[in-house]
Amino acid sequence: MLRCCIAAENRKLRRALIWAVFLLLPLLAGVYGTVNYLQNLEILTPGWYNLWTQHTLFYSLFFFAPMTALYTAYLWRLEHLGHNWNLIMTVPVPRFDLYLGKFLVAWKMVLLTQLWVFALFVLFGKLWVGLPGWPPAEILFWAVRGTLGGAAVIALHLVISMLIRSFAAPILLALAGGVLGAYFANENLGLFWPYALMMSGMNSNRAEDLLDGRMGPFLLACLVWTLLAFAAGWLLLNRRDVRSE
Amino acid sequence: MQNVIETQGLCKTYGNHFAVQQLDLAVPEGCVYGFIGPNGAGKSTTMKMLLGLIAPSAGKVLLLGKEMNPRNRLALLRQTGSLIESPSGYGHLTGQENLEIVAGLKGVDHREIDRVLEVVHLTDARHRKLRQYSLGMRQRLGIAQALLGSPKLLILDEPTNGLDPAGIQEMRSLIGEMPARCGTTVLISSHLLGEMEQLVQQVGILNQGKLLFQGPLAQLQQHSRGDVLLRLLYPQRGLQWMADNGIRCRRENDTLVLPPMEEDALAQLVQALAARGAGVVGVATRTRSLEEIFLRLTEGKEVA
Repeated sequence: MLRCCIAAENRKLRRALIWAVFLLLPLLAGVYGTVNYLQNLEILTPGWYNLWTQHTLFYSLFFFAPMTALYTAYLWRLEHLGHNWNLIMTVPVPRFDLYLGKFLVAWKMVLLTQLWVFALFVLFGKLWVGLPGWPPAEILFWAVRGTLGGAAVIALHLVISMLIRSFAAPILLALAGGVLGAYFANENLGLFWPYALMMSGMNSNRAEDLLDGRMGPFLLACLVWTLLAFAAGWLLLNRRDVRSE
Repeated sequence: MQNVIETQGLCKTYGNHFAVQQLDLAVPEGCVYGFIGPNGAGKSTTMKMLLGLIAPSAGKVLLLGKEMNPRNRLALLRQTGSLIESPSGYGHLTGQENLEIVAGLKGVDHREIDRVLEVVHLTDARHRKLRQYSLGMRQRLGIAQALLGSPKLLILDEPTNGLDPAGIQEMRSLIGEMPARCGTTVLISSHLLGEMEQLVQQVGILNQGKLLFQGPLAQLQQHSRGDVLLRLLYPQRGLQWMADNGIRCRRENDTLVLPPMEEDALAQLVQALAARGAGVVGVATRTRSLEEIFLRLTEGKEVA
C-alpha cells in the first residue's frame, strides 16, 4: 500500500510548478557561489574544496531548508486545496502510509536537488572556473549526506504543513530555521536543531569535513528528529478529525 | 433485508452544540436512500462519521454489517465509494490522471477508468485538465472516482449541488439505476426533498441533528393528503349542519375547510349536506406537496 501511495504522490507531481523552482534556485546559488569564488581568489586557496565552500555558503543558508519546506508544503497544498482530504482519507490505505509516501517522495526530490547542486558545482568548476581534474568523491558524499539532515527537516515540515494550511508560512519558518541553523552549527549545537543537520551534513562553507569522527552522533540526531516527527504525524493523522476546508 | 448502513445512537458534539444527536439510521440493501435536511442539519457530519473521517462523540456506525472502527476501516472503505461536500481532485492534472491516482490508491485495475468515464459521460473530456472542467463535470468526475472499484455502497453528499436542471436530471438517472445495474446501495443527501422524489425509495429527514422521519417514501407521501374544501351556495346552512353533527370546520367566504378525511366519509358528508339544502357546488382536496411536508417537519410543526 505504501507503494500505491508513492506512485500517487509521483503522479501528483507531474507538470507541477515546483520543478521550476527545483531547477532555478540551485542554478542561482551556483552562479552566486562561482562569482564569489572568482572574486575572492586572493584570500582563498584555489581548488575544488574552496569552490564548494562558496557554492554552499549561500545555498545552505538561504535555499536548502526553504526548498525542502517548499516541497513538503506543496505536497500538502495539493490536499488542502479542492477538498482532497476527504478523498485521501477515504481511500483504503493506512493513513500513515500517505504521510510516509509524501516523506519518501519529498526525500527523493531533496536528493535530486542535491545531485543537481553537485552537478552544477562540477559544471561551473570545469567550464567556468577551469579547475584542473575532477572534484574529490568526498564532496559528492557530503552533498548526499546533506539529505540525511534533510530527512529530519522533511519529516518535521510534513507535520507543520499538514497543520498549517498556509503555503508561505512554513517556508518562511524554514528560512528562519536555516539562518538560525548557521548559528547553532557554529556554537556546536547543530545536533539539536534539525535545520543545522542539513548544513553540517553537506559540510557547507567548510573545506575540511565538519563531521570527521562525529558521524555517529550526526546519524543518531537525524534519526531521532525524523522519528519524533513521524510519531507526531502518526498521532495527528490517526487521532484528529479530518477537516477538508 | 440486511441494513447496509446502520447507526446506533450516533452523536457528534462540538463544545456544547450537538451537530448530530442520537441518530439511528437504517439504510436497507439495494435502495436509494434520500438523506434530506436543510443546510447545517448535520448531513455532512453524519456522512463523515459513516466514512470514519470524523470520530463520533457517542454511538456507533455499522457498514455492511461490520462496525466502522480502526480495525475494519480499510476493509469497509474498500467496498465504499464516496463524494463528500464537494468533488475532490487535482487541478493541474487531467481527468484521466486524477482517476489514475484514485484507482492506484484503491488498488483497482486501470481498465476500470474507461468504464467509469463512460458511465459519467466524460470520455471525451478525459485529457482536459481538471481546472478547465465546469462544476457539473467536476461533480461527474467525483462520481466516477466514487464508482471506481464497483463499491457495494455509495455515499454521495449533495451530488446535484451546482448543477443545471439538465445536469440534475442526468445525475438522477445515473444514480437511480445504480441499485438495479450494480446491486449498489446509495445514500444520497440533499436539502431539497422535491428533487429526490423521483429517485429515492427510502427517506430520512434530518433537522438540527435529529432524525424527524425515516421510512419508505410512500409512507411520507401518505402525509400529503390535505384539507377538504367544500364550496356551498348556502354556507350558513352547511355550517349549521356541521355544528349539529359535531364536525369541526372553518369558513372561508363561501367555502368550508375540513380536516383530511377518508373518501367514504367525504361522500356521505356531501350527500348529507346536499340533502340539507346547502347547495354543494364544489368539492376539492388540497394536496400538500412533499416540500410542504418537509417544511412542516423541519419547522417543528406536526404533520397532520
